[in-house]
Amino acid sequence: MGSSGKAQAEVMKQLIPETVDDWRAVEDNFYDPQTIFDYIDGAGEVYRAYNFRLLLSRRFLGPAEQVIFVDLFYMGSAADAFGVFTHDREGEKLPIGQGAVYKGGLLSFWKGSYFVSIYAEVENQKTKEVVLQLGKVIAARIQEESSLPAIINRLPSTSLLKDEVRYFHNHLILNYHYFVAEENILELDNQTEAVLGFYQLNKEKTKERTVLLGIQYPEEEKAKRAWQKFIHYYLPEVRARKDTFVQTENGLWTGIWQKQDLIAVVFDAPSREAAASLLANFLHPNQ
Amino acid sequence: MKKPVTRRDFLKITAAVPLAGLLPAEELFRFNSRKASQSSSRARVVLIRDPEALDNHKRPRAEVIQQMMDKAIMTLLDEKDPVEAWKRLIKPSDIVGIKSNVWRYIPTTTEVEQAIWRRVRDVGVPEENIAIDDRGVRRNPIFQKATALINARPARTHHWSGMGSCVKNYIMFVPRPSAYHGDSCADLARIWFEYGLKEKTRLNILVMLTPLFHGIGPHHYSEKYTWSYCGLILGVDPVAVDSTGLRIIEAKRKEYFGRERPLQPPAKHIFLAETRHHLGVADPAKIELITLGWEEGRLI
Repeated sequence: MGSSGKAQAEVMKQLIPETVDDWRAVEDNFYDPQTIFDYIDGAGEVYRAYNFRLLLSRRFLGPAEQVIFVDLFYMGSAADAFGVFTHDREGEKLPIGQGAVYKGGLLSFWKGSYFVSIYAEVENQKTKEVVLQLGKVIAARIQEESSLPAIINRLPSTSLLKDEVRYFHNHLILNYHYFVAEENILELDNQTEAVLGFYQLNKEKTKERTVLLGIQYPEEEKAKRAWQKFIHYYLPEVRARKDTFVQTENGLWTGIWQKQDLIAVVFDAPSREAAASLLANFLHPNQ
Repeated sequence: MKKPVTRRDFLKITAAVPLAGLLPAEELFRFNSRKASQSSSRARVVLIRDPEALDNHKRPRAEVIQQMMDKAIMTLLDEKDPVEAWKRLIKPSDIVGIKSNVWRYIPTTTEVEQAIWRRVRDVGVPEENIAIDDRGVRRNPIFQKATALINARPARTHHWSGMGSCVKNYIMFVPRPSAYHGDSCADLARIWFEYGLKEKTRLNILVMLTPLFHGIGPHHYSEKYTWSYCGLILGVDPVAVDSTGLRIIEAKRKEYFGRERPLQPPAKHIFLAETRHHLGVADPAKIELITLGWEEGRLI
């Protein structure tokens, strides 16, 4: 760990209390993107996909040797802290940090550049109280508060399922939430910012979801290339005409537009007009 | 009504083939069928369950586990005696590595390991030629010179590969496991060929005593999402064993969540083990599934 890493580690140690109720911290371990697999196996890929810098795992022991893990991830940016939080948003929503959910003994929340996971190996009313108490203390100690990544605000809000929004960078995470293709046909990487919005446009078919994928590339040239590649592989019909909407095999509409360094793709819209409306509102949010 | 095959479905089974001229749905179906029928062998898999397999604290009962293993192996290999069945798999001169799994929350369990160890000893393999290991297999001298492997691991959902499977259990033979994490661990079956493990593996056991059917958080575990299934799945074909276990986990998810809820990410490495790597068969139509014991809540 370099000197900046050591300084960050010291900051992180101060963010987690040493004791809470009858529980006391018994062990600290730090992990970086190279060593995280020693701790959480393949799940480490999720945090690596969001460019995490350092993880402090503090283990607490309580009555009857019960264990609670506090995993404090320093993500390096608020955007990535928010992003990794959106990876799993299921659970009871709670007002901790800048967004929190609780389920099955696990509290997850984000605040500033930190993503925090607090997990009780045995879930009961008492451990839940301790987990939430730890969360509140840690959230209060993190002074930084940040706004959401700008690309999130481009998502048209009408009919948007707000608790299902995902923010990410690479195509493996895209496929995790909404499979597009095995190959990285949209040329996503750690330099791209992407957002997935799920919409319930059809009031009669409540299970039907329309998906809006928005991507910001570091430069216009990359966006153009990705646009061409997507059409080549996914919408080959479009090559022969100007219209970039296609009614696909399931009877729903898919379309793609590009504007400068932005690409927006709609999947499974109930009509061509609905698809066009989502694309237009994403690419021209103020019009 | 059958759902139409969409281009997203198509792109799940092909590596970036442009949809030139756009294949109609029927053609996509045919393409699917062609891919799926490349391997034609039928693999026998035995699922055995016993409600007495676990005690009140959900700990395995050693004697029940031994009985389950014995019954299953006799059925798998059409033998009347468990040691005779094991003799079909292992010779006294073999050097045997029992590849286990030590995951903190749901390990293979000592009881399963010992049930295997005991029968390998009964075949006549000297104690010094048998080892049980997981994360140390690359450094373990028995595993380094092993002539036979028994692969035993618990079934669970997995954050990155969809499912912790028998196919996946060999990742510890690789110097840098993360090298296989690409595309949701799609090519895990390659390990079996690259490290000469396929030929050495004599038996695969997917431990379904308390499977995890849904994972949460960095640790990917909550007891809330496990259940006492009290089962073991045995087979020579690791892909067939995994595919059977996966069907049970998917059925449990449907039962628990009250709707179809596919694994995220999908356990594609199991299907690609058949269609891309030809390690075994995942298609249920090509699996001869024999079920023994407790029927209630079998889910398959």
